[in-house]
Amino acid sequence: MIPCFKYHQPAELEETLELLTGLSGSKKVLAGGTDLVLALRRQELSPNHIVSLKRLSQLKKIEIGHGEVHIGALVTFSELLESTIIKESFALLVEAAQQVGGPQIRNQGTVGGNIITASPAGDLLPPLLALGASVKLIKKGSERIVPLEQFLIGLGKTTILPEEILSEVFFPVLPNNTTSSFFKLGRRNSLAISRISMAVILFHDAKGLINDSRLVLGAVGIKPFRATLAEKSLKGCLPDSLLLEKAITSIAQSVSSSLGDRSSATYKKRAVQGVARQALCKAEPIFQSGNG
Amino acid sequence: METFILKATINGTPLELPVDPSWRLLDVLRQKLGLTGVKEGCGEGECGACTVLLNRKPVNSCLILAPEADGADIVTIEGLAQQGMLHPIQEAFLEAGAVQCGFCTPGMVLAAKALLDNNPNPSDMDVKTAISGNLCRCTGYVKIIEAIHLAAKKISSGGDNI
Repeated sequence: MIPCFKYHQPAELEETLELLTGLSGSKKVLAGGTDLVLALRRQELSPNHIVSLKRLSQLKKIEIGHGEVHIGALVTFSELLESTIIKESFALLVEAAQQVGGPQIRNQGTVGGNIITASPAGDLLPPLLALGASVKLIKKGSERIVPLEQFLIGLGKTTILPEEILSEVFFPVLPNNTTSSFFKLGRRNSLAISRISMAVILFHDAKGLINDSRLVLGAVGIKPFRATLAEKSLKGCLPDSLLLEKAITSIAQSVSSSLGDRSSATYKKRAVQGVARQALCKAEPIFQSGNG
Repeated sequence: METFILKATINGTPLELPVDPSWRLLDVLRQKLGLTGVKEGCGEGECGACTVLLNRKPVNSCLILAPEADGADIVTIEGLAQQGMLHPIQEAFLEAGAVQCGFCTPGMVLAAKALLDNNPNPSDMDVKTAISGNLCRCTGYVKIIEAIHLAAKKISSGGDNI
């Protein structure tokens, strides 16, 4: 069962950071627990200390100001979905959060936890990477900001230090004429880990031309990545069915190299084309007209 | 291991319990309090049989360490019936024939309660989403969905015992 540990439930942020610096032995920070408690139960981890962030209500805020959106690390998926700020302008985040686990998981699991677990299939990661997000890491006496792309090393690892906590993730607001989407392919419609996922942001000019885009693929590599060749292929183009096919082909090529020799490669090389089609059409309905 | 004094309200009763921090809320409810309506189906947050309402929201009690429930208002299936009278959702499940082995039922009923407390007139999609974290191996879900729609009607037509 769950291995023994010393449990701490600090009341304040300062106390938390003090503990993380001062405690000897291995420690794990507990947010929602949907990943950590599972790992403890499977005895994949046996930390000497567990430091719970439960009482740090300042990590539950979602704020917008100075052109940026800040999401506190302890915001749950459900709370993200209830936020007007997120619902109004960030379809890709809404669609991703809606498809994580099931309602029970969404009520407990947190944005910060999803980032720290850093699963190659983590559902918030492709949208946050597409949004150009950065994370704020704090420890006793200092804090630092790291772009999410650099923070994620791959295969469940990040550059966080044992005495740090992730306090928030933030990203710039999207300009007008931007559309976005997220599509997830899982073995089931719910309670499923993504087999392939994709986040799309399309920046348009006033005439509907695609100025630029962010296309981020999840669960097809050690960490989610941008399909930069496909992004280039969309640049400055009017969306039509030919452009869609071009982008899909380019995405399939990027994924092919990323998957290498994995046993899932044959399946994923084919399936990613369907995922890309769904994600792009969701973000750009014009892609769908004229398509069979 | 150092015990933690858990203070929580369980089915309307405020309690103070010394707990081992490595216990899950599921263990406290079943073993310490004898509330065996909360089931352990998988222990991994993948089946919803351990669902309880924590501050009115459905959660997997198998993934919550006991001290994390400190200060919470918890409702288990045992907390639904009042003075021997079944909750309209429980009645609806019986009427609709939505119970076979019954193992998933407490979790399903609580998920339904959370839905109907917030959304008294749910669409079919709303109901399916609400129970999308609860697996049933017996019924094929159709009667469970019918039961929840029936419960919504019962409650909005002035069913007592809410």
